[in-house]
Amino acid sequence: MRRIAAILLIIGWFAVLPAAADDATKYGEGVTIDEAVPVVKLLSSPDDYLGKKVRVDGVITGVCKKRGCWMQVTDPETGNGVRIKVEDGVIVFPYTAMGKKASAEGVFEAIALTPEQVEARRKAAEAGHEHAEGESCDRAEPKKDGSGEGAGCDAPVQDDRIFMIHGTGAVIYS
Amino acid sequence: MKLRKTIIAVHRDVGYFFAGLTVIYAVSGIAVNHIEDWNPNYVIRTEPRSLGELSPGDNQLLAAEVLSRMGITEVPESVVRMSPGQLKIFLDQRTLTVSLPAGEVVDERVRRRFAFFEVNYLHLNHGKGFWTWFADAYAVGLALLACTGIFIITGRKGLGGRGRWLLLAGLAIPLVYLVVTVWTG
Repeated sequence: MRRIAAILLIIGWFAVLPAAADDATKYGEGVTIDEAVPVVKLLSSPDDYLGKKVRVDGVITGVCKKRGCWMQVTDPETGNGVRIKVEDGVIVFPYTAMGKKASAEGVFEAIALTPEQVEARRKAAEAGHEHAEGESCDRAEPKKDGSGEGAGCDAPVQDDRIFMIHGTGAVIYS
Repeated sequence: MKLRKTIIAVHRDVGYFFAGLTVIYAVSGIAVNHIEDWNPNYVIRTEPRSLGELSPGDNQLLAAEVLSRMGITEVPESVVRMSPGQLKIFLDQRTLTVSLPAGEVVDERVRRRFAFFEVNYLHLNHGKGFWTWFADAYAVGLALLACTGIFIITGRKGLGGRGRWLLLAGLAIPLVYLVVTVWTG
């Protein structure tokens, strides 16, 4: 019995060991595209990239606090950022990754806001608030009916839309 | 009789082997069930600070000035100008959000919640890879424990009596809940 326990411990040790050696941590599928699109370019001509798989590089300036279900990747030179939204539980970004360099990729998407959401965000921006009343920055996407919690609360609104990347993978450098 | 001995032996050994992990998953289960009410993974504390007006400058100069005024000697991981009026300075598990030029700072410190971060890491399978397989084995182990457990006791307290009613009650609760909330809701 002791032998069985020892063998299980050894197998567990060697199974876990390789993950601890890297200084870049891969999430999901990691990154497969060689060239990143500058975030500023993505946001200045979004229609050129909608529905396409893109890679962005930058600094992580925001992470979903509770679930790790999104992170904001920002170009440190321009301050332009884009949110990488992933499926809850499939990829989990650690909150402690804030400020680290990252590459992320996925499909670039636009989310249409309801007139109520657009108005709420306009009022919040005028008042200097971080997000509209009733919204939570922990959500990455707005509710479809426009009620209650909104999302991507710090994403700039362009033509009544906000943009995000439906992430398939990322690499965070330590 | 031989089958009963096997059932008891399987239940005993699998039970011993997975007892620790069962407690870990139970603790994490309660923790993440209440995720709307608290952050089960991190303790995040924010503290506002007022440093006085800051002179215009590039990001690195401004960051150096902020750190100097706060008495911080650590080298930042990165400094990002989020907007003309906001600078973010990222330190190890600490973020300073600086309003410019007023010098108002929100000092946010984060640390992993002791023990809970680790148990949630296991329970929610953040690590993937090896843990996916081990967690699958654990799930099979739980099924074995359940299936063998109901046959351990015989007689009035076993499946022939009290045990039967408890078994049915345990099945009825999720079924009634599904009827009320999903199937007819």
